[in-house]
Amino acid sequence: MHIMEGFLPWQWCLVWWIFAIPCLVYGVYLLKKVLDADREALPLLGVTGGFIFILSSLKLPSVTGSCSHPTGTGLSAICFGPWITSVVCAIVLLFQALFLAHGGLSVLGANIVSMGIVGPLAGYAVYRALRETRVNMFLTVFLACALADMFTYFTTSLELALAYPAQVGGVGSSFILFMGIFAVTQVPLAIVEGVVLALVFKYIVQLKPDILFRMNVFPEAKINAARNDT
Amino acid sequence: MYEKFLEDIAQANGLREVNTYVKLMAGLGAIILCLLSTSFIAPLFIAILLTGAIILLAQVDMRTYAELFIVPFWFAAMSVIVIILLSGGSEVYWSWTPFSWLSISISVESLNEGIFVFCRVIGGMAALIFIALTTPMTDLFIVMRRCRVPEVVLDLVMMIYRAIFMIMHLLVLTYQAQVMRLGYSSFRESIESFATLCGSVFIASWDAGEDLVRAMDARCYAGKFAMFGETGPVNSYSLVAVGLFLLTSSVIVVITRDIVVI
Repeated sequence: MHIMEGFLPWQWCLVWWIFAIPCLVYGVYLLKKVLDADREALPLLGVTGGFIFILSSLKLPSVTGSCSHPTGTGLSAICFGPWITSVVCAIVLLFQALFLAHGGLSVLGANIVSMGIVGPLAGYAVYRALRETRVNMFLTVFLACALADMFTYFTTSLELALAYPAQVGGVGSSFILFMGIFAVTQVPLAIVEGVVLALVFKYIVQLKPDILFRMNVFPEAKINAARNDT
Repeated sequence: MYEKFLEDIAQANGLREVNTYVKLMAGLGAIILCLLSTSFIAPLFIAILLTGAIILLAQVDMRTYAELFIVPFWFAAMSVIVIILLSGGSEVYWSWTPFSWLSISISVESLNEGIFVFCRVIGGMAALIFIALTTPMTDLFIVMRRCRVPEVVLDLVMMIYRAIFMIMHLLVLTYQAQVMRLGYSSFRESIESFATLCGSVFIASWDAGEDLVRAMDARCYAGKFAMFGETGPVNSYSLVAVGLFLLTSSVIVVITRDIVVI
C-alpha cells in the first residue's frame, strides 16, 4: 500500500521529494537516450507502465484480505534498469493517485522513493549479481522481483518510522512495529509476486524472446537453453 | 477487479466544464492547507466542504464516493493506532513495556497526535478525490505541457495512459474466460492462471502498442502528440468560490492552530 495523502508531515514530504527529484532527472536523461536510439522501446515502456499500474492496483487472488499489493517493478528494473523504472513508476503513481485515489500528491515523492527507486534498485542489484552466474534464469527473476517488493515495504516502513518515531527506542522500535504490521501480508505476497512474474517471464521467453535478445537482458545462450528445455 | 476508473466519472462530472486551473487551485490549495494545519479542525472543515462540492456540484454518486474512502480508512486506522501506541507523552492513561527497547502507551498527547493525523488524512484524501473526480487526465496533459514537462516524459505519460485502458480491456476479457473454465478453483490453479493471464495480456497489449506506434508513424508522428489546448474559460463565479474557500480555510488554519481534542 502506498503512503496516503496527508499522512506525512510537510517536512518529510519535502525531504522525500528532494531525494526523488535527482533520480527522476537522471532517469529522464536515460529515457531520452533510449528512445532516441530505439523508438520501438516506447510501446514496451508504455505497456510496462500500464502493467505496473494494474499490478499495484489489484490484489492477487485469495492471498489476504488486506490492502497489500504487488508492485510489479522488478521485471521493469531487469529490462530497463532502475532509473528508467523510477520515471515509469513516478508516472504510474501519479495515475494511481488520480485514477484510484491510491497514494497521494504531496506524498508522491515518498512513494516514488520506496516503490520507484529503492525497490527497483534492490531488484536490479540481485539481477546484476546473478546474471552471469550459473543460477537458473527464472530463479534470478523470482528473487529480483520478490526482493524489489520486499524492499519497497522496508522503505515505506522506514519512511513512516522516521516521520513518527517512538518515544522509547526512537526510529528503530517504530520501524520494527510498522514492519511487523506490513510483514504479515507482505512476505507471502512478495513470494507470490516473484512466482507470478517469473512465470510471466517464462511466457515471454517462450513467445517473444526477441526483445530479451535485443536488450541483452540475459546471455543469449541462457535464454536459448531455457527455450529448448520447455 | 476495477472495471471502472475514477476517470470515467471525471469525464462526465458536473464540474467538467470549469477551468482546469481553478479546479487544481482548489484541490492543491486544500492539500497544502491540510499539511500546514496544526489542528484537526481545519482538515475536517476542508473535508466536509469538498465532500459537499463533490456530491452536490460534481454530482458524483454518494455510494461511489464512500467506497473510495474504505481502503484509505483501513490503512489510516491501522497506522494511526501505531502512532498512538508509540508516540508516548507525559499524561499516560495506560502503558506496557514488553521489551527494554519497546514500550507502548496511550497518553493524552498521543491520542491528540493520532486524531490529528487521522483528520489530516481525511482532509488530504477529500482534496485528492476532488481532483480525481472533477479533472480528467486528458485535461491534465494540457497542464503538463504548459508546465514544460519534457516531451519524452509526456510521450510516455500518454502511452501509459493508453496502455492502461488497453490492458484493462484485455484483462477483463481473458479473466472472464478463465473464470468460466474454472481457472481459479484452487490456490495453485489461481497462481498459474494469474501468471498466464499477466503473460498473455502483456504480450497482446505490447503488440497493440507496437501497432499504435506504427500507425502514428504512418501519420507523420515525429515525437510530439498534438493535443487540443482548450479548457473551459475562467468563470468569475467559480474563481470567487474557490478564492473564498481557500481564504476561509486559511483563516481556520490560523485561528485553530492551538486547539486539541482532549
